[in-house]
Amino acid sequence: MTPIAFILLIIGVPSLIMLLYIFIRGSMGMRKYILTRIALTVPMIFILASLVFFIMRVLPGDPVRSALGPRGTEIQAEHMRAQLGLDKPLIVQYGNFLKDIITLDFGNSMVGGHRPIIDEMSERFPATLELVIPASILALVIGIIGGSMAAAHRKKALDFSFRIYSVIIYSLPIFWFGLMLQLLFGVKLNLLPISGRIDPVIGTTLHRVTNMYLIDSLISGNWQALGSVVTHLILPTVTLGLVLSGVFVRMTRINVIETLQADYIAAARARGIRERVVVYGHALKNAMIPVITLIGLQVAILLAGAVLTETIFNWPGMGGYLVQRISARDYTAVQSVIAMFALLVALISLAVDIIYSLVDPRVRY
Amino acid sequence: MNKRFYTLMLLVVSASLILASCTPGGSSSKDTIIIGVTDQIASLDSGDAYATHDWEIIKNIGEGLLVWTPGSADELVPGIAESMPEISADGLTYTLKLKAGIKFGDGLELTAPLYVSQFERLMTIGPSCPNDVADTLVIPYIDSVSAPDANTIVFKLKVPIAFFPQLLASAPYLPSHPDKFPVTECVLFPEAPIYGVGPWYISQYTQNEQLVLLPNPYYTGERTPQVDQIIIRYFTDPQTLALAVQNGEIDIAWRFLDPELIDQLRDVNDVTVGSIPGGAIRYLIINHTMAPMDDPNVVKAMASTIDRDAIIDTVYNGAAETLLSMNPPGFLGATEAFDTLYQSPNIEAANAFLADSGYDANNKCAIELWYPPDHYGAATAAWMQLIKQQLEQANFVVDLKAQEWSTYASALTGGESYQAGVLGWFYDYPDPSNYLDPFVFNGGMGTNVTMAAEGSSYGEPINDKAAQLVDLLAEADIETDMAARTELYKQAQDIYADLVVTIPIVILGEHITYRSNISGMSEFGNQETLNVATNLELNYSTLVKK
Repeated sequence: MTPIAFILLIIGVPSLIMLLYIFIRGSMGMRKYILTRIALTVPMIFILASLVFFIMRVLPGDPVRSALGPRGTEIQAEHMRAQLGLDKPLIVQYGNFLKDIITLDFGNSMVGGHRPIIDEMSERFPATLELVIPASILALVIGIIGGSMAAAHRKKALDFSFRIYSVIIYSLPIFWFGLMLQLLFGVKLNLLPISGRIDPVIGTTLHRVTNMYLIDSLISGNWQALGSVVTHLILPTVTLGLVLSGVFVRMTRINVIETLQADYIAAARARGIRERVVVYGHALKNAMIPVITLIGLQVAILLAGAVLTETIFNWPGMGGYLVQRISARDYTAVQSVIAMFALLVALISLAVDIIYSLVDPRVRY
Repeated sequence: MNKRFYTLMLLVVSASLILASCTPGGSSSKDTIIIGVTDQIASLDSGDAYATHDWEIIKNIGEGLLVWTPGSADELVPGIAESMPEISADGLTYTLKLKAGIKFGDGLELTAPLYVSQFERLMTIGPSCPNDVADTLVIPYIDSVSAPDANTIVFKLKVPIAFFPQLLASAPYLPSHPDKFPVTECVLFPEAPIYGVGPWYISQYTQNEQLVLLPNPYYTGERTPQVDQIIIRYFTDPQTLALAVQNGEIDIAWRFLDPELIDQLRDVNDVTVGSIPGGAIRYLIINHTMAPMDDPNVVKAMASTIDRDAIIDTVYNGAAETLLSMNPPGFLGATEAFDTLYQSPNIEAANAFLADSGYDANNKCAIELWYPPDHYGAATAAWMQLIKQQLEQANFVVDLKAQEWSTYASALTGGESYQAGVLGWFYDYPDPSNYLDPFVFNGGMGTNVTMAAEGSSYGEPINDKAAQLVDLLAEADIETDMAARTELYKQAQDIYADLVVTIPIVILGEHITYRSNISGMSEFGNQETLNVATNLELNYSTLVKK
């Protein structure tokens, strides 16, 4: 089983079971909503994938010439075009592309080693997940705690501090911020590694199953590797997580402030409930509903941020791969990665919508 | 229960962190040398690979019939061959005998029939492999290869070539393992372990992350490994590569670091920057059949205008050298033909050439200069802008145009679309023929000093001087007497400069940056660059860690 299949299995199967449970136990309106959302996801991915397919071909650049360079002869170019199927009419190429997407085959890369895209994704997608998941958790934790604290201390020093923090952190160029952290903690203080996912020597002892090194080191009980993976995760996670936390701080703050003005909050206060319980026990829960929507919207931004973070920290994930392959005009790789990203964003949006409808009973379909 | 679980997890993570920080890993490990590169592996099949980094790996896990002495770019010695080749009187037959007991890393013995069978694989399936090295470095030269007995290999050439020994030391001529590289197909990334007959074998390869090399237990050659393990780490960003050598995560930062990063690293304690006058050059391709470049006065005026020192100082912070002939300094018969003829920058001379063709301050010569902004690094745009300014000091008006790399390369070297453009070159084998022939023979990669002709190896020269140049280069290719060959190249470079086939600009230095506990071996040359000479061969076996 490839690592990507393993990850899909451990993430996809529970998600599917949960979806089925909600579908069976939910109201008729809910079932209809889920079916509609799934039905809309399919054309969305199709349109996006088609757009990428045609945009890549309209852009100047030829993967064959890019691979062969100036020494390549016309005979070699023709030979390679035939091998890659680029000599076929555009409509045939498009048909093959759609077939590849439906069968999740994706074909072979057009440059470098001409390896199957699915193999390349298997190596890189887990790395991106391993970066994006802790970064999201960090962003959410800081965002929710910071935002609610700011709201609870509205117009006080803490509120101003968090507001300034959120604006500054969100406007920081991620590559600059990452570089500063590298210089401080990696070079000046020599506390943390600045590149890669694991110490190269320890990496030789790690048995790779899922290609998510945290999981692999836990599965194999390789604690030394686990420690190395965790230390390598710190700087990229902090870079990506902090930059994204800004928007969550602001969103949480605004929503908690709005909720604190609601009648039921006034009633709670009138009953003498402690302010801490009012804010964190009552207001925060309700204020989280729009934040949940924001999480779905932030996934795309998170993936974009991961592109830069991966480059700075030499993290061999999907982002760096996409950048490399765009430069090389590797049509199949770019199309496949974007289709994969689209699928990911669509599925998370779907999950967020369903969760939203569950937590907010006022939402009707 | 929950509380206990979380406490346990916290303890496990904390213990792991402590373990990780206490364990000698990364560059602190004395038995391991970690080399960082921004190159990527495109192919590990010697029947296909055609990139510098691929060749470096292949040559460290393998060994050629002939090899370059570490630290030298001009001393070829027997590798897995007993002695230098016996060459027939007509220069068409090369006979070599294998040393006894040559084995791959898994114990498989290399015999002459096995070598021949793997070499024939290169000639048969090589042209269908993606990188197709065979069509450039093998098929044009080799008529047949045979093994009359278990130890003898005989190459029969199509034409005599003086640089065949250099080819024998190149990666396509190295023996490959028959199990990993079967005769039926190209295998760009075989499953590790990958064995050759050289000092190392590939024990692990994690795509885009690292490649691990361990010593070949059956190796009996001269290049005995000095450490237990070499790890090559792959980087995407040169800035991160520079920081990694600075903080000691890697021991050696090899290709490529930008000039400004090299400058920064020179000031860092515990880090040494070794500079190698490398073989990578930058030059302008001139299309001699497209107006106004078809006018000899115009191209001579261009050659008279270029201020190479200004380009080196402004763009490369001094980390490059002037290139005054396409055959770089240190190569057989290298001259400074362009300097002798044009002594550029010489604006007066340039304007005099232009005046001879009717151009003056009121009637300037309009030319187009093209470049790929995304291919040769950020410096390209800067130095093209500088060349434009330099040309416009004479009576030129320059329209600077940028184009995406693949479109650019095809249009420029196709010889139909662009008047002139910048290009880079790095040799396949260290010989002047590899720096001169490609720009003259059969269209000359867009220079059009010859026009490609069916059935001809050289093409149709566009004028008498071009014909003379073709004759000289063709003669030099087969001349085996070094003094005579040197003389032929000297004459050829004079005509090349007179024709201004291309305009050589700079030769880029390569840099190898390493921690203070790393050194090369003193018995070989260029110890300060870890025994890397101008052929840019990094022998992992000569690397020592204190």
